Amino acid sequence: MKKIISNKYFLILLRLIVGGLFIYASLDKLYHQEEFSKAIYNYKFLPEIFINIFAIIIPYLELISGIFLVLGIFKRGSSFVITALLFVFIIALTQAYFRGLDISCGCFSLETVSEKSDILQRIIEDILLIISSIIIYTQSLKHNNTIKEKENE
Amino acid sequence: MKTFKEVMLIFVMSLVIGLIVNKVNPKGIPLIRDDKGRFEVDSSAVKENSGEKQEKVLTKEGFVKPQNIPVETAKKLFDEKVIFIDGREPNEFNEGHIQGAINIPYKEFFALSAEEKLKMMGNIDKEATIVSYCGGGECEISIDNAYEMAKIGYNDLKIYLGGYLEWTAKGYPVTK
Repeated sequence: MKKIISNKYFLILLRLIVGGLFIYASLDKLYHQEEFSKAIYNYKFLPEIFINIFAIIIPYLELISGIFLVLGIFKRGSSFVITALLFVFIIALTQAYFRGLDISCGCFSLETVSEKSDILQRIIEDILLIISSIIIYTQSLKHNNTIKEKENE
Repeated sequence: MKTFKEVMLIFVMSLVIGLIVNKVNPKGIPLIRDDKGRFEVDSSAVKENSGEKQEKVLTKEGFVKPQNIPVETAKKLFDEKVIFIDGREPNEFNEGHIQGAINIPYKEFFALSAEEKLKMMGNIDKEATIVSYCGGGECEISIDNAYEMAKIGYNDLKIYLGGYLEWTAKGYPVTK
């Protein structure tokens, strides 16, 4: 298992998948900002004054981190941002699930309609993604340390 | 430390690009969401009820602002055989709706292009009075649906916030 996780090609693949998904997810939000703001509003999770600021920044956080991850630059920062975003998404989705809110999740496409089972599926997808991004983050830390060790030798 | 620097870089880039693009983009959104008055009955609707005719209000995007109406106005318009549009899903609509209402599910409607929306509205005249409603209670699709219709040029939209819940509680005519 450890071998797979630290395998170079496995990590590249992981980066392409997570980064690619985040780029894809950001585009629809960028195109439909008003609807994304509405989707955040529907989660009844954030105070109203922050909703639009989030609606403006989140798509770019996703897009820029996604691009960096795919290109393999600023890997630590981008995987950290993605992990943090996913953490927030999972909490937002989970509380919506348990409160039984009728939301359009605004995950990948804002047109997706939410059923309860739909929300559960999103939560599972996000958990898989957060595991992947944590792996990318920890491996990029390790990678850096080994370089330092080699330099010190 | 390196992580922190990179995170700050991404964050600042997102903030700056986001704010600039939002400012330049004609479809940009206000920095603070304004939902005040979303659920309040328009005072103009009350005045209109007492026979006083009101000027139409335009939104800053340039379309006629839908008007929130109380149940009395909704009933009056119903008696005048005005068009009622139900924004809920077809299965909810089929379980029961205001008599004579047309079902235009918001979740399907809002995703369409302007042309497709007009097609879905069928032969409803743009100057016709339309009452948009949904389930009532915390349901907001009556509002959203009305705004989508106003954006494509319908000029006399009313939003009946009480919705199906209040309508049935009053014992007004429904179709089941």
